[in-house]
Amino acid sequence: MTEAVAQAPMESDATQRLPLSRREFLNYLWAMSIAVFMAGSGGAAVWFLYPRFRAGEFGGVFTVPVDELPPPDSPPKEFPEGRFWLSYIGPQTEADPRQPDDYPLQTGVRAIYKVCTHLGCLYKWVDTNDRFECPCHGSKFLQTGTRVDGPARRNLDVFPIEVLDGQGNVIARTEPTMDSHEGSPVTIAADAVTLKIDTGRRINGAPNSAPGGGM
Amino acid sequence: MRWHIALGTLFVLILVAVFGYIAVGEQTRMQSFTDAYDARQIETGAALFETHCRTCHGPQGKGIIGVAPAINAADMFNGERLAAAGFSGTLTDYLEGTISAGRPIPSAGTSYPQRMPTWSQEFGGPLRKDQVNSLVAFIENWQDRALAEGGEATAPAPAGEPIGTDIAVNLPPGDAARGEQLAQSAQGGCSACHELAAVGPAWAASGDVPGIATRAGERIQEADYTGSATTAQQYLIESIVLPNAFVEPGYQPSIMPQDFGQRLTAQQVADLIAYMDTKP
Amino acid sequence: MAIFKLHLPILDEIKQKGLRPALRDKKEDIVTRVTAGLSTEDVRSMLRDDPPGRPNPRLKPHSEGFWLHMKPTYYNNLVDGVYPTFRLGWLSTFFFLIEIVTGVLLMVYYTPSPEFAYTNMLTILSNVPFGRLIRDVHRLGAELMVAIVMLHALRTFLTGSYKKPRQFTWATGIILLLVTWLLSFSGYLLPWDQLSLWAVTIGVSMVEAIPPEVVGRTVNLLFRGAPEFGANGLLRWYLLHVVALPLAGIIFVGVHYYKVVLHGHSLPPEAEEIGEDTARRVPTDSRTYFFPHIATRELFYVVAVTALIVIGALFYHAPLEPHADPLVTPLHSTAPWYFLWLQGMLKLGDKVIFGLIVPGVLIGGLLVLPYIEVGPSRRYGHRRIGLTAGLGLVFAFGVLSYMGSPWYAVQTSPEQEAIAELLPQTHPGPLRLADWNGLDIGTYEASAYAQAPTGTLRSVLAEFEHSVEAIDVPERSDYQGVIVIEDWQTNLKKLTLRILWTDDASGDPGEYSQTVYLHKDSNYGQGE
Repeated sequence: MTEAVAQAPMESDATQRLPLSRREFLNYLWAMSIAVFMAGSGGAAVWFLYPRFRAGEFGGVFTVPVDELPPPDSPPKEFPEGRFWLSYIGPQTEADPRQPDDYPLQTGVRAIYKVCTHLGCLYKWVDTNDRFECPCHGSKFLQTGTRVDGPARRNLDVFPIEVLDGQGNVIARTEPTMDSHEGSPVTIAADAVTLKIDTGRRINGAPNSAPGGGM
Repeated sequence: MRWHIALGTLFVLILVAVFGYIAVGEQTRMQSFTDAYDARQIETGAALFETHCRTCHGPQGKGIIGVAPAINAADMFNGERLAAAGFSGTLTDYLEGTISAGRPIPSAGTSYPQRMPTWSQEFGGPLRKDQVNSLVAFIENWQDRALAEGGEATAPAPAGEPIGTDIAVNLPPGDAARGEQLAQSAQGGCSACHELAAVGPAWAASGDVPGIATRAGERIQEADYTGSATTAQQYLIESIVLPNAFVEPGYQPSIMPQDFGQRLTAQQVADLIAYMDTKP
Repeated sequence: MAIFKLHLPILDEIKQKGLRPALRDKKEDIVTRVTAGLSTEDVRSMLRDDPPGRPNPRLKPHSEGFWLHMKPTYYNNLVDGVYPTFRLGWLSTFFFLIEIVTGVLLMVYYTPSPEFAYTNMLTILSNVPFGRLIRDVHRLGAELMVAIVMLHALRTFLTGSYKKPRQFTWATGIILLLVTWLLSFSGYLLPWDQLSLWAVTIGVSMVEAIPPEVVGRTVNLLFRGAPEFGANGLLRWYLLHVVALPLAGIIFVGVHYYKVVLHGHSLPPEAEEIGEDTARRVPTDSRTYFFPHIATRELFYVVAVTALIVIGALFYHAPLEPHADPLVTPLHSTAPWYFLWLQGMLKLGDKVIFGLIVPGVLIGGLLVLPYIEVGPSRRYGHRRIGLTAGLGLVFAFGVLSYMGSPWYAVQTSPEQEAIAELLPQTHPGPLRLADWNGLDIGTYEASAYAQAPTGTLRSVLAEFEHSVEAIDVPERSDYQGVIVIEDWQTNLKKLTLRILWTDDASGDPGEYSQTVYLHKDSNYGQGE
């Protein structure tokens, strides 16, 4: 064994070619199993530490009965505990000339997150101008959530909605729209009874940075 | 010493397996603990109800006439009571709020003589928040049976012409047995304050204080009498339909409901007086 | 652009030696740095258990690395395994580490306020994945740590390892024993359930007995933060549990272990001449080196103990009693098991003598033991008196602990005791654990248990009858038990346990009853 020591600094190649002994192999096996365990514990720790939300608190699912919805084309209604506006886009809103062409619309309800997509302030609904306006840096959005002015770089974010009938079946839900992948408005059919808005998942608004609104 | 390595690896694998086993069952376990704890809250609430609430709200929460409304009633759970009270929150909110703060003034449309005490420690009462929540859980557990049984919360209308407030009116002959029934019933509710509890002057004699039958005649002779009755019967009628005309010393005005004149017929008053006359 | 020049030595090396040799040398460099002095070849040779070269490279991590700077580079063969120390010192430290890790995890979900503490415990158990596991490991680890630390002290005493030159090590060890006890005791208070509040109230009340009165009262208030245990008390004990005591623990473990390594692990008494301490002079042929042998063993212990604790937590679940109620002390409330001896002493007599002076003298005596007991020999044959005294203390600990338990000399009325056997106030007990569906509505006499309609009722009533028959009160006779079961609400039954008797002198009947409400889903058998 002393030869190995004498030659060691020069012959690192030689020692690499030493065959794997059983003990060494078992040690590597042990080390790997410990690595697997540490990875598993890491995962368990993340699961342990990950915040969980109960229904009815922001981050969880909010249930809104259909009769609490604002009428179509009327100003949006706010739900402060859920941090969202419910905006019912009706035919008039759909035909609004201010709406940029890049963001095609359908009628229906959107659950719009109250936080401005610029730097995080809560924008207000300004009835006289029939649009959302953010007091911090002046971003302006239509009732549909589309940006029409200001330094924000995307449309307002929305929360996915599920519409349920009396038996609890889901009859409509927010889908990503064709081009822009925004959350589409949900249609409220006659047999709709409740809406479930999941504030734990957020769909970002489409990019919108042209003056006057547009991609 | 190779066995240290082999056994060590085995233990690590056992650890990974145990963690995996626990991970797989965690969702179920957490749900089952939540259910178990909710059930235990109902048990705690049941005991608290017996100790604190039953004396006024009655066994099984059916209410005691003239003392406290029924909690175990259909209208509590089908939204009617909340709508009548103009309350916009959930039933849980309503129960929590009422229990915590009590009723310093009576709800509109009711005239319970006693005020509901404040219960939550937040507002000076004896119960912790979790105890209030236990009571709410217990009360909500009545939902199935209360809705199944139905039942009314409002008092029935008088069965005929109300007597009004003329204390000199002529009364038909009264029946003491019917009077006793009326006193203890939903419509009358007299026993709650005048027999079962000491809210109002007791009808029965006790010690050297005579019963109501004798007192009626004696009272109108005394100097501090402020009413306008001239006979024992008039005194009794006045006590029922115009309670604030004269209030016994030591008792407060406006505790007794002021609207018996609109709720009782002459016959019913006659029956009550007949019953009271059995208490010299 | 010559504004700045990127200096990447690795690129120079690749240019010089070629890609592969450069990467290989880089790997060598990294391995040597990470292991604080071992090349890849040294590491492999260690893993193969080949004899080391000279000079032994495996000593470098001890001298050049931080983590092993206190660890001895070799052990004497006589003390390198489980025997004779049972590795209790090592286990104590490892359990301390487990407690710190699980404790910090629990801190993420805990608020030290009476308003939130109990709700937080419920959240940990109902809405945190692995919450129950971490809590159970923390609780189990704490109980085991106290036991292990006490056993470690006992072992050190029995082998006479407290003698010169290790007196100071022993003294720091006694301080660590106190820190461990206080850590476990302060942790007790945090869940804010009935056990927490009353166990700690009882414990801290002894402080009030310190004479003179003004000192006792002041110390008591300092500990409680208010006349009664409440928000202030909880916060103070939380800070003790989470900051002050762990800090003290870490510092004293550092001092203690430094001294252990400085003097060397004491050898078995027969291995040395009387009065000699040769622990530091280990002849070359009696050495077991840390790398790889002791390290392998210790890694094995880590893995084995962790696995055993986690498996233990599968079966042992830390209880959670009802919310702390300052107005109601549960029957048979008890101190933690390692303080039962204190409670037992308190039952012997005066609070000051038996609660303060005697324990104080005992602990003080333990602290200065090595400075008083200076006999030169560690051999068992020469220490018969000392060993007998030590074992006598252990025996006394056992007896006093029994006396400190609620079942010794603390009895309320016999009727309450009888009902408490079915409906204890500190744990679920047979009635709450019985099958809810088997508790049919009706009135049942305990003596007629054989005729009860369901098996559950038969066993519950039989137990009740057994407790009732055991009641023996001189002036009363003819004890009978009755259980009334009523349907109270959806899935809720009301049970009334009644004990009736006849007074011998007057012939009057007497009665005592307790009610309990049981819900179908309350599931007391699931472990909390």
